[in-house]
Parts: sequence; structure tokens; C-alpha cells
Amino acid sequence: MGAPKLPTQPPGTLPKPTVLNSESSYHPEEPIKYTTMENDVKAYVWELPIRIYHWVNAVCIVILMLTGIYIGKPFAGAGIPEEAYYSNLMGWTRYIHFFTAFVFTASFIYRMYWCFMGNKFSKFNPLRWVFWKDTWETIKFYLFLPNKKPHFVGHNPLAYLSYWIFNYLGSLIVILTGFYMYFEPQKETVWAKMFAWVPYIFGDSYLSRSWHHWTAWAFMLFIVLHVYLAFRDDYLERCGSISSMFTGYKTEPKKAVGEKKHK
Amino acid sequence: MKRHKTVYEAAIDHGFSRRDFLKMCTALAATLGLEFTQSDEVVKAMETKTRVPVVWLQFQDCTGCSESFIRSSQPKTESVLLEMISLEYSEVLSAPSGHQAEAAMKQVLKDYKGKYVLAVEGSIPDDDAFLSVGGISAKETFKEMAAGAMAIVAYGSCSSWGGIAAAHPNPTGAKPVTSFVKDTPIILVPGCPPIAEVMTGVIAHIITFGKLPELDQFGRPKAFYRHRIHDKCNRRAYFDAGLFVESFDDEGAKQGYCLYKVGCKGPTTYNSCAEMRWNGGVSYPIQSGNPCIGCSEKDFWDNGPFFTRRAKIPGTQTTMNPDAVGMAVVGLATAGVAVHAAGTVVKRKLDDKRGDEE
Repeated sequence: MGAPKLPTQPPGTLPKPTVLNSESSYHPEEPIKYTTMENDVKAYVWELPIRIYHWVNAVCIVILMLTGIYIGKPFAGAGIPEEAYYSNLMGWTRYIHFFTAFVFTASFIYRMYWCFMGNKFSKFNPLRWVFWKDTWETIKFYLFLPNKKPHFVGHNPLAYLSYWIFNYLGSLIVILTGFYMYFEPQKETVWAKMFAWVPYIFGDSYLSRSWHHWTAWAFMLFIVLHVYLAFRDDYLERCGSISSMFTGYKTEPKKAVGEKKHK
Repeated sequence: MKRHKTVYEAAIDHGFSRRDFLKMCTALAATLGLEFTQSDEVVKAMETKTRVPVVWLQFQDCTGCSESFIRSSQPKTESVLLEMISLEYSEVLSAPSGHQAEAAMKQVLKDYKGKYVLAVEGSIPDDDAFLSVGGISAKETFKEMAAGAMAIVAYGSCSSWGGIAAAHPNPTGAKPVTSFVKDTPIILVPGCPPIAEVMTGVIAHIITFGKLPELDQFGRPKAFYRHRIHDKCNRRAYFDAGLFVESFDDEGAKQGYCLYKVGCKGPTTYNSCAEMRWNGGVSYPIQSGNPCIGCSEKDFWDNGPFFTRRAKIPGTQTTMNPDAVGMAVVGLATAGVAVHAAGTVVKRKLDDKRGDEE
């Protein structure tokens, strides 16, 4: 069965953004496309490459964190406490960590590519005043304060910021310090020389390691907040933000598409 | 008495045979990390080059580097001191003292300008009140002698990075010698103290080739500082196997397991301890059962306790257990999330109620 034929112009219920916010005024040449599916109005928000990135990245982070904690502080010894010949526990853990790190790096580069090629929900522009205005309103919204936070179809500005700070900047830090450490035993190779400048930014071998550890834990903090706020958004807005990361479609609340609340 | 004897002549004068001399050259070539075929070059250099004048200055130090130096086995300290170099000024080894000794130093500056090697031990305080010798501040003496030197050899972590005197809170304003010199080539030989053979090897290289050995990006000789202790460690197999010493009195410690969990700094330390070892190749700390304390790394006194693995907070000298801190932060965040979630539900219910009433 092919893709379901979706009416692209549902009669009557199409939302007309009356308020210009950081989202609706961003890339105006690329208006949000709404479709009605069954009884809901939906918008295609997360393109397939973005969804693939999200889950590859999530799996990588979990594997990297588990193996990383073991490498930093081996909480279990080898099963056979004999000569080193019989086991390779740390060796395999490091191998998995490094293998996953390469996948993680590839997914990061892939995501950066989609910052240019993706739709308007896959990028943001922090140089616009309205972006920061909406960020401030969102912060007030999260603090239960009276706010004028507009409805966002994609991420809210605070979410964009958190991805850039925790996820992308964090990824960059762990990737750079990680590859520096990875190539430490082969200082003379071309690969090591590509990362030879890293200690000038992050400090010596010990400080690079420290950056790696702290940033890894920042990722954990991010996961807690990210997962919670995704569920909260789904609960408050009934927008299907959890399922949207599988299907790509976000359900628009009736309010947002101009329908009156009904009992 | 002017000394114009070549190294070879000096050796013969001291009663060595030519055979001994050739042995010394071969061993020296090996220490310098040269190939066997290159030992000819060393022999040629030793036959033709005259001894290099050396001035050895000590600033904020503990003389530990000098102590290490005089225990060199290959090349032997006495052959370095008597045949390869001409030690013109040294506070530890020279017989004269006071103005006589200071005058000898000034004489070197006059006689061998641009030809002598300046060895420095110890950091230099920014505040002159903390170190003056014969009424002249350490800074001034160093700058004067550095300007006329062919090369500067910074022996030890203090002269290379600042060392213990520069550790937080650094009351004397101690700085490494690199902070006070611009034009003279400088080679860092960090370690607390550096390995004796590395100390003599660096001098021998300068004599043999008349220039500094190849340096890494931090100014250390590649021949001795290119490898991490961890990558050359004799206990490395236990690391990869996942066999660790948990405490210094357990079975693993007896079996010689990896010292990673008792704070070994081998994975972040560049030095040749694991290859050259100490006291003529007898042993080195990890082989003897003590974790590496990372003494040749920058700011090692501020890198946390010796027997615990920690992470440093960038920009400070504070070290913490990253996993404990991380778990605490994540725990707090989870608690905060729970409270926030409860608030969200309550607020929504209230809003719904108000909406219903309207």
C-alpha cells in the first residue's frame, strides 16, 4: 500500500496564524502544511532523517554513557581473576565505546548537514529579537508564571536552545576531547595531528578527560529534562509530541486550528 | 686554565681506553633513541667537539633534580660531568661559594657568550622578595644568563610548569622559566624529578648534534616524552583484562594487577618511566606497586589526590568525583521534575475547573 492520499487542503479548519511568533515568522516562504488525518489536524514536523538521527543518537548516548562510566570507574572486575590472558573486559568495553563513538560522530555530522537541508523545524535563528522574546515567555511558562507564550508547532525556542547547548555543543566537546584521547597513543599519525590543537582549548590530557566526564553527565541531565518536557508537552497540549518522533506528525490542538472548545 | 680538550681527549685523560670510549658512545646513541648505525655520528661528535660549558642555576627548587642527575647510569654522571660538559657554575657541586662562585658565572657570560648551555632547576618567583641570591633577584640573574645562552634546559616540573611553588594559591607568584625568556631556545624536561638518564641524555644530544632534540608541541623532547606511561605500562594487560587493585592490601595488589582504581595517573602522563625506568633501569613506581602520580604533567600538584580517580573542574584547581556529582545532579533534577510534574497536573486541573465554570 502506498502512502495514504491525504487531503492537503482540509476545508475550513486550516489555522491562520494571527500572531507572529518566532516560529511563524521564521522562513515565511515555507508555511506549515496541515493535513487532516481521521478527525485530527496534523502537521508534518519531523522529517525522516531527523527522526533517524534522534533515535541513533539516543541509543548511542545510552551505550556510550554505560561503557564510559565503566571505563572511568570500572565497577566490575573480570570474571576470571587469574592472569590477564583469560579476559578482555576493559578491552571490549573500550572497543564498544569507540565503535559507538564513531557512529555518534557520524550521526552528529549527519544532523549538522540537516541544519542546512532540513525543513524550518530542524534549524533556528538566534539572531532574531522575537526568538529571545519567545524564549523569555517560554521560561515564564515553565515557571508557572503568567505568560504570553504562543503556540509552537515544532520546538519552542527554549527547546532549540537546549539542543544547541546540551546536545550539539556537548557533542562537539565530547567528540573533540574523545578523539584527542583516542589518538593519544599514536601521536605521530595524521589522525592524531588533526586533533593536536584540542589541548590548547581544553587543557592537557587530564583536563580533556575531565571535560569529557562532565559533559557526559550534562547529557544525562539533558535526558531527564528532555524526556520530562516532551511528556509534559504531550499532556498539556495533546499534540502527540511523543509519537511525533516516530511518525513525524504532530497533532494540532483544536484550539490552535481555530475550533471552539466543546464539551 | 682554558679547556679546549675534546670529549674524547678528556676521556682518555681520565684513564679510559678507546674501547671504553666507543662503548660509551654506543650506549649514548641508544639512550638518545638513535639507530645503531648512527652511533658513528656520536663517536665523531665526541672526537671533535670540545666540552660544552654549562651553568646550572637553582631557583625555587628542592635540589631533587640535581639529586636525580647525579644518579645517571647511562651515560654515567661522572663521564657527563668530567668529559662531556664543563660545569662552570653549580650551587650543589661546586667547591667555591659566595662572591667567588658568582664571579665564575659572570666569567662564563664573558668567555662563552652564545656557546654555553643554561640548565635551570626550580621556578622563578614574580615577587623578587621571595628569592634573591647575593642581592640580585632570581629574575634578573636568569634573564641575564638566558640572553647569552645557546640553549636553556628546564630541568624538573618547577622550571617547566611552575611545579609545587606554583600550586594553588601560589604565594610567591612562581612561574615557569618559559615566562621570562623569548629568544633563547628552550627545552622542557619535566618530572619531579626527571629521570636521570633523560637529564643527561638531553645534554648529550645537544653536545652531539649542536642543536636541541626534536620537541613536541609543549617543548618537551619527543625522544623521552612521546609516550604515555599507560601505553607502555608493564601492568597494561591487567587494565585491558579488567583486573584491578581495589586497595593496597588485597590479592590483586599481590598479583600485580592494574593500579587504575587506586588513582594511577598513567593514562594522563607523558614520560618514559615505563620504558627507561629508574635507577639504571631497575624499576619505576608502577612496577613497584605504587600508582603513577603524574609528576611530569602540568599543574600536577593541583590535579587532585594521588590515590583517587577524579575529574577536574576546568578553570579551577578543584577536583571531584564526576560520577558522584553527576548522579547527585541527575537525582536532584529528577526530584525537581517530579515536583514540577505535580505542579503541572494541579495547575491543569485548576485551569480546567475554571474553564468549566466560565
